[in-house]
Amino acid sequence: MENVERLVRTWVATERDEEVEAVVAEISIGNATFVHVVKALGEYLTAEEDSLRTKGVEFLSSVIGKCPPEKLNRQAVRVLVTFYCGKLEDTETIVPALKGLVSLTSLPTFTGTDAIEVVNALFKHVKMNVLVQSQRFLVFRIIDTLVARHREALKGLGKEFLSRYVALVEGEKDPRNLLLAFAIDRVLLIEFDASSHVEDLFNITFCYFPITFRPPPDDPYGITSDDLKNTLLACLNSTPAFGPLAIPLFLEKLTAGSPATKRDTLAALNVCLPVYGAAVARGFARKLWNSLKLEIFQPTDPQTEEAALKTTQVLIQTIYSIDDRESRSDEEDVQGLAKEACEECIQILREPEKSQAKPANKVLCAFMSTTPSVARFTLSRVVPHLVKLFHNPDEAPTRAPTLRLLADFISAARDSTSQDPEVLPDEGDVPLAPVKDEVLGVLTVGLKTPSTAPPALDGLKALVTTRGLLSDEEVGFVVHNVNELLQKEGEDGFDDVSDPALDLLIVIATFAPRHVAANTLPLLFSSLPDRAPPRSAEAERLRYWRTLDSLSKLCEQPDLFETLVVRLLTKLDLVCIPPPEALDTEENHEPSAAYAHSILKTIAEVLSAKVNKGHKDVVKYIDRLVPRLYNLFIYSALMSDGSYMAATDPRLASVAAQIITLITQSLAAQRQGTFIEAVFAAYLHGDVKQLADGQQKLPADRPFTPLDPSAPTLQKNLLGLFSAAVVALRKGVPLPVENEASFLGMLLQWTREHADNVLQRDAVSHVLTSVVNRHAEGLASFTSERLEAFWKAEIADNAVTYQSRRQSISLWAWVTKALLVRGDPLAMQHTDKLFELFNDTDVNWDAARALGFIVASDKILTKRNHAVIKMLYSQRFCNTLLPRIVTGANSSEQPRQNAYLVALTSLITSVPKSTYSHQMTSLLPLLLRGLDLPDPEIRASVMSTLLAAAQPGSETKGAAKEHNALSEHASNLVTTMLKNSMASQMPSVRVRIAALKFLAVLPGVVRYDILHPQKATVIRELAKVLDDPKRAVRVEAVEARTNWFRFSG
Amino acid sequence: MSGEVFNPNPTVFAPTKASRVAAFAKRNSLWLDDADHEHEEEDESNEPEQIDQDEIFELIRSISDPEHRSMTLEQLAVVSAPQITFDSQVPDRLTVEFTPTVPHCGMSTFIGLSIRVRLLRSLPQRFKVDVRVKPGSHQSEHALNKQLNDKERVAAALENPALVEVLEQCLSTAGRHDHDHSV
Repeated sequence: MENVERLVRTWVATERDEEVEAVVAEISIGNATFVHVVKALGEYLTAEEDSLRTKGVEFLSSVIGKCPPEKLNRQAVRVLVTFYCGKLEDTETIVPALKGLVSLTSLPTFTGTDAIEVVNALFKHVKMNVLVQSQRFLVFRIIDTLVARHREALKGLGKEFLSRYVALVEGEKDPRNLLLAFAIDRVLLIEFDASSHVEDLFNITFCYFPITFRPPPDDPYGITSDDLKNTLLACLNSTPAFGPLAIPLFLEKLTAGSPATKRDTLAALNVCLPVYGAAVARGFARKLWNSLKLEIFQPTDPQTEEAALKTTQVLIQTIYSIDDRESRSDEEDVQGLAKEACEECIQILREPEKSQAKPANKVLCAFMSTTPSVARFTLSRVVPHLVKLFHNPDEAPTRAPTLRLLADFISAARDSTSQDPEVLPDEGDVPLAPVKDEVLGVLTVGLKTPSTAPPALDGLKALVTTRGLLSDEEVGFVVHNVNELLQKEGEDGFDDVSDPALDLLIVIATFAPRHVAANTLPLLFSSLPDRAPPRSAEAERLRYWRTLDSLSKLCEQPDLFETLVVRLLTKLDLVCIPPPEALDTEENHEPSAAYAHSILKTIAEVLSAKVNKGHKDVVKYIDRLVPRLYNLFIYSALMSDGSYMAATDPRLASVAAQIITLITQSLAAQRQGTFIEAVFAAYLHGDVKQLADGQQKLPADRPFTPLDPSAPTLQKNLLGLFSAAVVALRKGVPLPVENEASFLGMLLQWTREHADNVLQRDAVSHVLTSVVNRHAEGLASFTSERLEAFWKAEIADNAVTYQSRRQSISLWAWVTKALLVRGDPLAMQHTDKLFELFNDTDVNWDAARALGFIVASDKILTKRNHAVIKMLYSQRFCNTLLPRIVTGANSSEQPRQNAYLVALTSLITSVPKSTYSHQMTSLLPLLLRGLDLPDPEIRASVMSTLLAAAQPGSETKGAAKEHNALSEHASNLVTTMLKNSMASQMPSVRVRIAALKFLAVLPGVVRYDILHPQKATVIRELAKVLDDPKRAVRVEAVEARTNWFRFSG
Repeated sequence: MSGEVFNPNPTVFAPTKASRVAAFAKRNSLWLDDADHEHEEEDESNEPEQIDQDEIFELIRSISDPEHRSMTLEQLAVVSAPQITFDSQVPDRLTVEFTPTVPHCGMSTFIGLSIRVRLLRSLPQRFKVDVRVKPGSHQSEHALNKQLNDKERVAAALENPALVEVLEQCLSTAGRHDHDHSV
């Protein structure tokens, strides 16, 4: 007891938490009771001096707040409640008293009687308008707790409670308090008999609608405008009694409000109408519809339009839901709004070509997803109307818009039923079932004319994707009609229909491939010629391109792809190795090769799409397709002794290489192993039996020796098909040679001494880079000693010819890249070597460009090809090299300095923007100097780098920094870009376009006050560029000049 | 701008697609494009390409209609490529004709002005452009044509900030080439 007294005295002097804790501890262990505390506080609780009284009550409340609940028995609570209620009267103690009550009211020993005493005291003594927010918050918390825990007791207070509550909380403005107030309001509206206070409660809730609160930046309370909106909405829709009061208010907000208010109102209507009920909805139906109609037919923006359509659906559902439940009423029974609105819209659809038809159709589409009876009614009016319109000869010109409306309506009808793939709809539940014959008829007629074909295709697509609607036979009928359309593509105005037509067939192929395989494919294959059309037959060429394009889109599905491969391989053999009687004229050589190339490309494209989609059947084509390709190409290379063979064209081999790589990628390690053994047996030992197999028998008397120094170029060219296999090998697949390092050394030597062209050199580079990337750990003798010698002899030695040194630098870069990508430290040593060439004016720019090439992404060392790739290698490379290059560019002498600039542009155009954007400020002056280098390619890449830096939209901090950097150099940039955009000063089209693109974005990223001095000059100078000889440049000039015209403060 | 609505429900036309050759068909070539060469093959020759009807149509087709902002002049058939004609004697002289949707359309001057401004900004200065309404398509055709081809009156109109604001809004869609194909 003395202890407590002492602690109280200390606290009054210090107000430290420790004393509160100490007293709570005393009570917890039973050394003291609340009676002791009150006694010890006695003199303070009744003190004359205001501040002492406040402190007394404050201390008591703090102790209660921290005390374990079981220490407050019924008796104590009773006493404390009475005590605190008394203290509410006293303006000096009201705040601590409220704190105490917050704790007391949530105690289990607090009873209903206490609750009544507390609310009465609150109502009597608390004047909300003299309290600050945090104090009012306490009041709300107390009431919230009481309403939650002692609801029945409060209900006993009857109407009086509600009216006094309303009086108390009226006028609250703070969002934190409102969140609580709304929650309380909802309980009162739902649980209490509010019938006599509907209007009062309406006033204290609807006055906050719509919520316009925007949280301040860095709001510590984290209350969002959505929190408030949602809790308020939960009040607005808590009782049907609000209906008659609320809807006029909503209507008013809808008419007069901003777009945001409109959307809030529509959202509120969506949740309120179902609660307010059918009677209220029906009463206001006409007025609501008139307002909604305005938002749909003259929409402020697409979102509001969408929302208004949604609300229209809710309105209809509310009005008609009861009818539907009572009886599955007949169409005749749909009376009132649905009928009137439906007829109103159909009236508008009498002119389907007019702008109002589209929104009217949207309303009708929306009706399809309301209630079954309204949907049936709507469908029974709309479809016959549109069908009739279509058949009316006077309306022939409006057939296209009519079908467009019909197509949209069918989609809506389709989407109105369950989309659950597990549930097949019952026969009677497909809304379109009664009208499908007429619709199918109209749509197929629509396919026959160019203008109506696109909407007819859309309609058919909606029809075939409606589950449970068309029979298999009917799907076949659709396919048949679409096939006819496909054959007309390109004639009589049928343009651009093949894409949507194919799209439809692809959709059908997913669930009924049979129809496509049996009807469409034979048609397409038979229209492919056996021999290439002559050079002058452009129309025929265009036709086979179209056919192949169609096939490539259609044949991804495994069964269809198999057919495609078989048919196209046959065609390929026929074109590449024509039968002797069909003597190919020389004139037709190139067209034949081009045709074969297109066929191969078709296979490659479909294959690539299949790989992207992870199709499992790709694997089997290592046996069905790859041997045929090797056979064709090896045969052609061996047989061509002077006479022309289409398959010896390098362009064909390059597509075949793509196919081989795609298939090799998909193989498991073991199968790759046997495959690569066959490849090596053929290329290294001339044993082609395992690798090649096909129609043409390879001549036994002509050996295949592509790596032999004396081999004919045509054989050497086939190294492309060798590297195609090697580049996709997994890490665990060894090359079937005794020593990989010496094999690579041999290839290196071969490429220096015997390679005839860039194709062969590329093939070797790709093999080197892939093997080093996979197996570098076992290749030290190659990557160090062998390459060391190569550097000295082929690159560093300036007695070697320029061409040869350049090629060697490229090879060097490929190997370095292989090491870099796998994170090998040797990569940096190889990179350093390139800097040694910066003084050598013959090759310094090539060396500088190689720096970017090393880190740029490429098509050989990819994840798909199973390359060993270390994360973030490009970031590390950039972080190491950039500072070095920047220093070099700033401090060195010519010609090193320019080489550094070239290296810089090459490097940053090769890496993601994020790797260098933080250094933009220091890079920008150098890039500007790069714009003065005489090389158009460098200029164009600098410009695209600057363009990427200026790209508006990314609201990150980094972007803002870059934009500041650009602002600093704005006038300089404008002058340079203008110079580079004039045909008279800059011959390169690419540079002119890049410069104009940059000028076009500049006003979007640099502030007006900085840039406006340039405005007049830019507009004047760009006027000249409008007369550029090239159209592509003029288009950019128009865009840039327009942006500058619009640029204002 | 008055609040009067001149044509609340105009007819909508499907936009003509730019005469595009399918992506795979390169003109005058036997060969399909190889994906590997996509970057290199830019046309770097400076062979002149004349400004033609289509190019001028591209400039004005996407201007928004002042009364129906969500629609373009092309969709309402106010402008069309054949209505752009070059003078056969003076190559730099051309006429752009437009068709108001209704003969009493009070927005016609404004539409003409928006076409005029767009072309002023986008065509080389050597061109002399006549903007006129299609003969017989408007009740005050003569006055309108006179107004639209009077330099001083065009300049005076552009001094009016309220008018310029609406004009800029209508022109803001002019550069966009993503035509709404679903119409």
